[in-house]
Amino acid sequence: MKKYLYGASAFALATTIGAQAALADVTLLFWPGPESEAMQQVIDAFNEGPGQELGFEVEQLLFSRQGFFDKELSDLAAGSTEFDLALVTTYTLGRYAPFLEPLDGYLDADVSNHFASVALDSLSADGSIYGVPTDISVHFAYYRNDLIDELMSNPDWQARYSEIAAEHLGEARDPVAPDDWTWDDYIATALFFTQSINPDSPTQFGSALQLQNLIFNIMIWQSTLVSNGGNWMDADGNITIDSDAARTGLNIYQTIIDSGATPPGSLSYEFAEANAAFGTGRAATTLQWNAAFNIVNDPNEYPETGGLVGVAPMPAGPEGHRTHSHSLGIGMNAASENKDEAGQFLNYLASIEAQEIYAAAGGTPAVPSILEGMSDVRPEFPLIGQFAADYGFVINGGTAAYAVPVYEVLAQEFSGYWSGQIDIDTALSQAADGMAQAIAQ
Amino acid sequence: MQRRREAWLLIAPLVLFMVVWLGFPFLSNLYYSLSDVTFETLSSPTLVGVENFTAAIDSAAFWQSLWFSLRFALISTAAQIVIALILAIALRPLLERYRFLLAILILPLMISPALMGIMYKLMLNEFVGVVPQYLALFGLYPNLLGPDWVVTVVIVIEVLQWTPFALLLLLTALQAIPDELTDAAYVDGAKPAHQLRYIVLPLMGPAIALTAFIRFIDSFRVFDHIYVLTGGGPGTLTTSSSIFIYRAFFQQGRLGFAIASSLILMAFSLLLLWVTMRYVLKGART
Repeated sequence: MKKYLYGASAFALATTIGAQAALADVTLLFWPGPESEAMQQVIDAFNEGPGQELGFEVEQLLFSRQGFFDKELSDLAAGSTEFDLALVTTYTLGRYAPFLEPLDGYLDADVSNHFASVALDSLSADGSIYGVPTDISVHFAYYRNDLIDELMSNPDWQARYSEIAAEHLGEARDPVAPDDWTWDDYIATALFFTQSINPDSPTQFGSALQLQNLIFNIMIWQSTLVSNGGNWMDADGNITIDSDAARTGLNIYQTIIDSGATPPGSLSYEFAEANAAFGTGRAATTLQWNAAFNIVNDPNEYPETGGLVGVAPMPAGPEGHRTHSHSLGIGMNAASENKDEAGQFLNYLASIEAQEIYAAAGGTPAVPSILEGMSDVRPEFPLIGQFAADYGFVINGGTAAYAVPVYEVLAQEFSGYWSGQIDIDTALSQAADGMAQAIAQ
Repeated sequence: MQRRREAWLLIAPLVLFMVVWLGFPFLSNLYYSLSDVTFETLSSPTLVGVENFTAAIDSAAFWQSLWFSLRFALISTAAQIVIALILAIALRPLLERYRFLLAILILPLMISPALMGIMYKLMLNEFVGVVPQYLALFGLYPNLLGPDWVVTVVIVIEVLQWTPFALLLLLTALQAIPDELTDAAYVDGAKPAHQLRYIVLPLMGPAIALTAFIRFIDSFRVFDHIYVLTGGGPGTLTTSSSIFIYRAFFQQGRLGFAIASSLILMAFSLLLLWVTMRYVLKGART
């Protein structure tokens, strides 16, 4: 009996020591999907290389994507020490920042040399970096090369385009190349490719807007706001959403909705539905995240558009082309008990070597030189870097603690306007009030 | 005295369980509902009295979401009970003969409501969805997730998923009615409609009330399939109380306000529970 007791005690002791050793490893809280799969490649490279010399390993702890940020926030706020590193994003950064460790002291000084500055800005708050960028997102205006080529070369189409613009926009316009689209050009193109307006259109709809009551849809819409000179707030922090620029931006969408140039179901569209409308050949254009390019341009997934997709900057307003830009990154849990090790891994993650591994595994790193170098396998990559650098913006307050609540308010009010539930004055006035309340929180 | 002590001893584990698992969270929620608290101040909330409760009561969005939940629950519960009752009476002989049919009928219960939302998102898609394709055969092109139809659609989805649950309970209640009663009524010349009106329905009354109560409470706190399908929109057209509270808590960071709102809803539910249980107990006694 004694023998068994000693054996059990030895086993328990060994298990405890083993568990303590495991706790010394660095744990990264992430979500399952292409990002964590790409991250695993980086982690494997680290564990087999620098990690061996430094004497520790990194592992991932995956929460499901459903409600990920809510669970992550709850754990961070509770001071959990179960993970050392965690996924952070531009729009959740402000809320997470009180529970994150500033990274400035952990990263080499030359980090800012290779990352796009908009990516570092989008993961910074109060002058400190809180996340090493891993993926960058911008928006593209997607179009069909075959349709636009025909429009730019067929005199009959051009004459009809001009007629439609005169009839619906009050001004005869000539088609212009997507790279030079203004918002009026975009609307005119959307109208031209809408069968209820132009029965000869090869597509049923000219556009596929995403209008569901969802914060990500507001991020896309914000290009209309900022390119027209608007913003959430001015440099002094005064709320400026109830502005002419916002009215113009909302009405750009409303004109497309009212004229039937976007599918009626757009009111419930998000990423996947807009891809389906465009990819099945029902819509000639769409305003969409860069991540959609690989999907709608894949002939296996969407035979109608595969290999035919062109991308351009978001249409220009008086302030030129502008695109919302945000980043995913990895931040450090302020409650971590392994900050030195976690910081060493983050420093490795910020290196060109790690970012190249991440890109090769399917990530979209915010490093223009890497994006440029992968144009043969990912033709949209150089444009992501270029658009982020030339047209990218982070909305005023977009990294603050109130960013998500403000997005929520805007999504609710503007979705209400686009669905005809409230008028534009009410939407903007309630948006301003809601913003003030969210910021005061 | 001895019996009294034994009685307390016997219910002690349950009381302890309730205190630990329900009492503590309830008290902490009550404290948070009276506080100005965010994720940043979880460990140091500031007491603000009934401010959160008055803010919820003054909030038009709160009442709007409550009104949606109430309508949603009333209509979907009524539809589920009526359909389940008809199915239970009509299909009883068949279900008693082929018991596996019941297992097939209750399959929708096995599907998670969030998955239900995803399924219907595909089925209702105007380009690739099966429902619009069938409607198009009849020349109908409704925008099923647009402002005119979206409320009806989310109610129909709820009814389709949960009617089998009501059927299960009502069928059991129906089978519990002694055959002697209906046989005697038949001998006395009662027609089927009279048997239904004067024997079956009165005897099933408590079961119907209980089923309606369970379904009402469940439908009243609907979240998953609506959130997945519409996100509570367009605008706020399908924002239920649960979605409203979720947004206030997680997305707006108004923890005290969200908890106060949910406590108001809980009080409302308790009132319903009290009314229903009175009816059920009365029915059971008679």
